[in-house]
Amino acid sequence: MSLFGIVIRQLVGNQAMATSKKVITRADWEKKLNDVKVKKEDMNKLVMNFLVTEGFVEAAEKFRFESGTEPDIDLATITDRMEVKKAVQSGNVEDAIEKVNDLNPEILDTNPQLFFHLQQQRLIELIRNGKVEEALEFAQEELAPRGEENQGFLEELERTVALLAFEDVTNCPVGELLDISQRLKTASEVNAAILTSQSHEKDPKLPSLLKMLIWVQNQLDEKATYPRITDFSTAALEDPAT
Amino acid sequence: MPVRVVDTSSPSQVSGTTAGNTLPPPCTLLSVGQSFSGTQNVSSLQKDEAWRVNVRIKGCDLDHGYLCGTMEALNVPMADTPVVTFWEGEIVDTKNYTFFTGKWGATAEDDIKHWTKFPSFPPLLSQVEVDGGKSLDLSNYPYIFMRWKEQYFVNVGPDCGLTIAGFYYVCFSCNDGSINGFYYDPNSSPFQKLELKSNNDEKSGFRFSTYELQ
Amino acid sequence: MPTSATSNHPGRPEGLIGRLNSANIPYEAKLKSLRDLKNQIIGNRTKKIAYLKLGAVPSVVSILSSAASAQGCIGDSREFHDSVLIQSAAAIGSFACGLDAGVKAVLDAGAFPLLLTLISHLNEKVADAGARSLKLIYQSKLAPKYDFLQEKNMEFLLSLLNSKNENVTSLGASIITHSCQSTLEQLALSEAGIIKRLVSLLGGSISQKDASLESLAAVIKGNPEVASKFMGPESGRALNLVIELIKDKHPRTRLLACMCLISIRNTSTSYLQDSGIKSTLVLVLLELLGDPGQVGDEAPFVLSSLITEKEDMQKIAFDANVIDNLCENLNSVSFQAKRLQGTFLALGDLCSELECCRDRVLDSKVLNFITEALVHDSAEVRAATCIFLKNASRSVKNLSAGKFMNEAIAVPLVQRLWDSSTPVQVAALGALCNMVVDFTADKSLFMKCGILRHLVVLSKSMESAIRVSAVWALKNLAFHVSSRCKEEILSELTSATLASLISDPEASVQEQALSLTRNLVDGTLNSVNYVIGEDGDLVHAIGKQLQSTSKAEVLIQGMYTLSNVASGNELHKKAVMTQLLTRAGNDSETLMIKSLQSSDSRLRTATVWTLINLTLPNSPDTSTRVTELWSAGIVSQLKNMVNDPCLDVKLRARMALGQLMMFGDALT
Repeated sequence: MSLFGIVIRQLVGNQAMATSKKVITRADWEKKLNDVKVKKEDMNKLVMNFLVTEGFVEAAEKFRFESGTEPDIDLATITDRMEVKKAVQSGNVEDAIEKVNDLNPEILDTNPQLFFHLQQQRLIELIRNGKVEEALEFAQEELAPRGEENQGFLEELERTVALLAFEDVTNCPVGELLDISQRLKTASEVNAAILTSQSHEKDPKLPSLLKMLIWVQNQLDEKATYPRITDFSTAALEDPAT
Repeated sequence: MPVRVVDTSSPSQVSGTTAGNTLPPPCTLLSVGQSFSGTQNVSSLQKDEAWRVNVRIKGCDLDHGYLCGTMEALNVPMADTPVVTFWEGEIVDTKNYTFFTGKWGATAEDDIKHWTKFPSFPPLLSQVEVDGGKSLDLSNYPYIFMRWKEQYFVNVGPDCGLTIAGFYYVCFSCNDGSINGFYYDPNSSPFQKLELKSNNDEKSGFRFSTYELQ
Repeated sequence: MPTSATSNHPGRPEGLIGRLNSANIPYEAKLKSLRDLKNQIIGNRTKKIAYLKLGAVPSVVSILSSAASAQGCIGDSREFHDSVLIQSAAAIGSFACGLDAGVKAVLDAGAFPLLLTLISHLNEKVADAGARSLKLIYQSKLAPKYDFLQEKNMEFLLSLLNSKNENVTSLGASIITHSCQSTLEQLALSEAGIIKRLVSLLGGSISQKDASLESLAAVIKGNPEVASKFMGPESGRALNLVIELIKDKHPRTRLLACMCLISIRNTSTSYLQDSGIKSTLVLVLLELLGDPGQVGDEAPFVLSSLITEKEDMQKIAFDANVIDNLCENLNSVSFQAKRLQGTFLALGDLCSELECCRDRVLDSKVLNFITEALVHDSAEVRAATCIFLKNASRSVKNLSAGKFMNEAIAVPLVQRLWDSSTPVQVAALGALCNMVVDFTADKSLFMKCGILRHLVVLSKSMESAIRVSAVWALKNLAFHVSSRCKEEILSELTSATLASLISDPEASVQEQALSLTRNLVDGTLNSVNYVIGEDGDLVHAIGKQLQSTSKAEVLIQGMYTLSNVASGNELHKKAVMTQLLTRAGNDSETLMIKSLQSSDSRLRTATVWTLINLTLPNSPDTSTRVTELWSAGIVSQLKNMVNDPCLDVKLRARMALGQLMMFGDALT
């Protein structure tokens, strides 16, 4: 250790560097885009992948017939999967569970979160149908033990049971559980689990490509002005703002 | 002092690649628990201005060339209590560390300038200039070179009027356990000299304690 | 239709079991009950346990048994029988899934051979169900060990792996993962060509990939010979496949591919050492630590196997911010046992060597979670927490800065000294052993926690691991403390216990007991007096132990103890002289000469220091002792040592000789 000596510090001024964005014209951009070759078969595979993953069996069959693209999964298995999905979407959760168990009993035995969400959906359906006593019994016997095994489940269960406390569920804070979107959420979770058990990807590739496009455009926005795609349904290029 | 039957100041082998270990030897007087007392000159010019210093070795890991301990400065001009700092040391063992510091604002030039102030260093100088001492065999050299870098103040705040921005070049004598050092900090007075003697001596008998971490 | 009138109500287990067992109901109704049972227990641990208690497993197995023996039916009847087989196999599999009690019941009921026969069933759905259930059984530790060394078993295993059925091949791989333990088995499997087969499964379905990766890891683990075969020229492709899989889409596949590569890496220092693969492994595992499910629970264990005892890997993990991620785990997980255990285990590994890691961990909020983790229900979590604390406190800098002088840690940690689990006790002792080195003169925090009394009781434990650690902690507690504190330690411990620890049957206990004594007698003359007393019994016990042992560590600690005693008064020095100059039994050499001639330089150093203390020029009786030492042949021995290869010995020998000669001049 030492006593402080004379400290001389040089102060260096910070000069902000002036930056300007690069401007890319529509003509240049289109030329660049045209230079990128995408094979038609690859586009077709993307479409088929979407149809199969989302479970559009008939469309997939038609598309196979028209484009000659082979699906990457046995189309018959799609039917089973869709039946499960439909059962959840229409509120027949118990039916859905039995169908999943027939397809592959390991799915629900090794996926506690999915199992819990299905049981939770069953509870929601009982509450929707006004079967209060049955709902309470079900929550206590079937769901409470899952809550003991997992803190996160317990919190979700408490939220669901809260539905019973409100006369008018449409105005209660957890009312969204009764929304159709909750059924869709659960249905898509089962769908993904079945796909994974069949060694298939659980998400179609197209949406993630779109997400990547958005990300890339956002990155590019910081560095350049160029013809952006803003409307994804038409994929029209917009003239760069100057 | 005991009478010496054999002259220990005869030059030891400095260079040459003996098979096996070339690391500096372990020395009981530099082991955990050992303490040292002496002075530190505040400036190289005013010899009279010095504060008393106590050092205690608290940890030692020769495999990693590591040593650490505390340093207590007793009559510091601006402080009302003794100031204690915790330091960590790099042992110049040619394996983990060489004579070149390579950090803490010290250039190779600064390194040589300080090391050559120790009378025991010149025999090593030519090799150190070549490779920092990497190829030296220090296993039988009766001096151990180190850098001690203070890490934090133990008992006072950082606003105690003292700085620990610099570090010490240190030379330990295996013979009698004495320690010499020079404080280096471009922003402090240069060549502040540290001189310490081992507190383990023949007056009270030599004693060694030990602890071991699991 | 599966939906029954009662199915909206929670099942009535007793009734269902009754129907399964009844001989008087139509088979169709039985099949329905079987399906009900299956659908009730899948995913539902509570139900599984309830049905187990009601004896459901033997009932299901007996249905499976009778359906299996009624082969050869045709038409509708055959279809019906197959359904019974499928439903009963699925129910049995579910009982065995994730529940050891279920596995036990299934095995006890004799389901295993029945399921095996299903594998070769013509109906693929039946074969599927059988293979699936067996696979689930093999995921438990309780599954019977498969004997690979029998030729026909190996053939059967190969036939499983060659099957076209996905579940059957996965079963084959699961059998390997479960049963392959010894080097001999690994070699037998490798010679039978299993590796090639497993590698080909890497291109299969997700479950085949995963099962194959896990088996490969098991076959290669700790076996350099098998690893070199896998790494050999013809299999370079195999390695690349596994390396590709650490980037797979599925988290579980990535985890198992990492496990497999780590298994290869750990067999030799030359495999997979390039920095690219090292950092990829760390980064993949880092990402998996955030997985919310089972993969995230297992990831820290795999990480631990990658970095344990490997400083370079710990540094890479540190640079990749693994510590922050692990600490984040502690924040977000509401104390789930497995993940908590793994997290502390991995943090412990990271803190085992590198100071930068310890600093980072201590700067995070980890210590806030310690109090709760130390009283966690799971013994594994408690042990992992203690091991983490032990490694984190292996830092003189942080100990010196008082980072562990914290009641919120010390108090619950001291309580763990009486944990019901021995591994927790040992780990807690290890942590406290380090933490008591707080460099204070009175160790007030730990003394206040009553640690002294606990350590003294544990030093008399029947478990030698606990005894060693307890005495070790006492030694560290006694390091450079005040005389008052030393007296406190000795009066709690008593000289008699200390003497009996010095002559403990375990050499490691002797060593710690001697170094504890060494610390107790380092200090003022008073403290030497207090420890050694007037009768010199303790010095005698030390000498006796030194005469009878050949363990270097014991000799070194014992000699330093004698050296410290020899720094005391004339009586102390005399007692030490007696021990040094004693010849044990029919030994021709004194302890002193033997020790000076030891091949261990540390022992020679300690002995010369003792001689220096015995011949200090300012002691009244030195000349008498010099005469005795001289006639015991010390001078010629020391003269041999003035060029000792160990510098420290050389310098001390010269110093001792110098002191001796001062008096020796008078003698001659």
